[in-house]
Amino acid sequence: MDVYCSNNVLQARRAVEQLRLETELQRIKISAAAEQLVQYCQEHRRADPLLTGIAASSNPFKDKKTCVLL
Amino acid sequence: MGEMEQMKKEAEALKTQIEAARKAACDTDMASAASGVAPAPRVQLKTRRTLKGHLAKIYAMHWSTDNKLMVSASQDGKLLIWDSHSGNKVNAVPLKSSWVMTCAYAPSGNLVASGGLDNMCTVYNLKTPVIKTVKELDAHTGYLSCARFLSDTEILTSSGDTTCALWDLETGKQKTVFLNHVGDCMCLALSPDMNSFVSGACDSLAKLWDIRDGQCKQTFQGHTSDINAISFYPSGNAIITGSDDCTCKMYDLRADQEVIGYQDAALNSGVTSLALSVSGRLVFAGYDDFNCNIWDSLKGEKVGVLSGHDNRVSCTGVPVDGMCVCTGSWDSFLKIWN
Repeated sequence: MDVYCSNNVLQARRAVEQLRLETELQRIKISAAAEQLVQYCQEHRRADPLLTGIAASSNPFKDKKTCVLL
Repeated sequence: MGEMEQMKKEAEALKTQIEAARKAACDTDMASAASGVAPAPRVQLKTRRTLKGHLAKIYAMHWSTDNKLMVSASQDGKLLIWDSHSGNKVNAVPLKSSWVMTCAYAPSGNLVASGGLDNMCTVYNLKTPVIKTVKELDAHTGYLSCARFLSDTEILTSSGDTTCALWDLETGKQKTVFLNHVGDCMCLALSPDMNSFVSGACDSLAKLWDIRDGQCKQTFQGHTSDINAISFYPSGNAIITGSDDCTCKMYDLRADQEVIGYQDAALNSGVTSLALSVSGRLVFAGYDDFNCNIWDSLKGEKVGVLSGHDNRVSCTGVPVDGMCVCTGSWDSFLKIWN
């Protein structure tokens, strides 16, 4: 019974300490944060093969067609 | 007033303060901020490889940093190392315990790790003439849900015992234990700069941790059920989570709150896994309903779907070069798409 009580108290204490820490956080506005996320996406979009598509010749997963001599 | 009553009161006051600070920072949302961005193209990917070999449900997969090899884990009691280009199996590692839930490839390519209901993380050396177990990391008191190597000498784990841990692979001991979740930890993801990581848990919270000082720095709420999957946005400033509540969410670390959600009224299956394309624009989310949905991370719209599995999609992964996405399923197959 004592261990159970002290576990609850320990958990509550830990929760309060964590909340105190998180209250101190300096937050930036979503508009500023989102702008940077959008910028990152845009800057890297040409280097994103799943977004731009992959030419068959440079696709390591595309099965290369064999030449057939008729 | 008893100590518990006092702490409850303080906790409530602090929560109110935090909510007010978040609200003050909430001057828009991601979709509005991205309104000027061209919509992502309709993404139609084809199955390029179906990797057959496992005899039971696949629970996890992880790409090697060489963009070619990958490891998968199945409850048939094996880890399989695949050459994704040829589709061939390169190695098979028999597991002591078949109840595996996670696997990981070290960035060096030298080691792989697995763990599950045995509560242990076992590390194997792939480069010795015969694959050897190099360490059995045994200290968690609950199942091992996820493991990720920082290097050949350090690994991070998350566990059903509600903790995450950083291990020294030379001594086999925990260097740091990350304590703060009040529910089973289900997933973890390393930040691109490797100084921090995020964890998702059954307490429906995601937490950001400093790897070196062991502190929980931030807590993200909003989900209403277990968080099963988590990933960093490639810039390192945001995280994406997937949950049993059938939604995914993006949280920005500096605004300290959710900035967009990915959901659809028609979707009522839990999210099991997720992976991002290299620019961060596309989110590949695996669901219990056998599909992997593709979301536009900036606009929150569904832009594609990967259909082909005959059972739950349990794991997804995009290699470092972003050339494809791999899905693994309870149907025992892995598929490579691009």
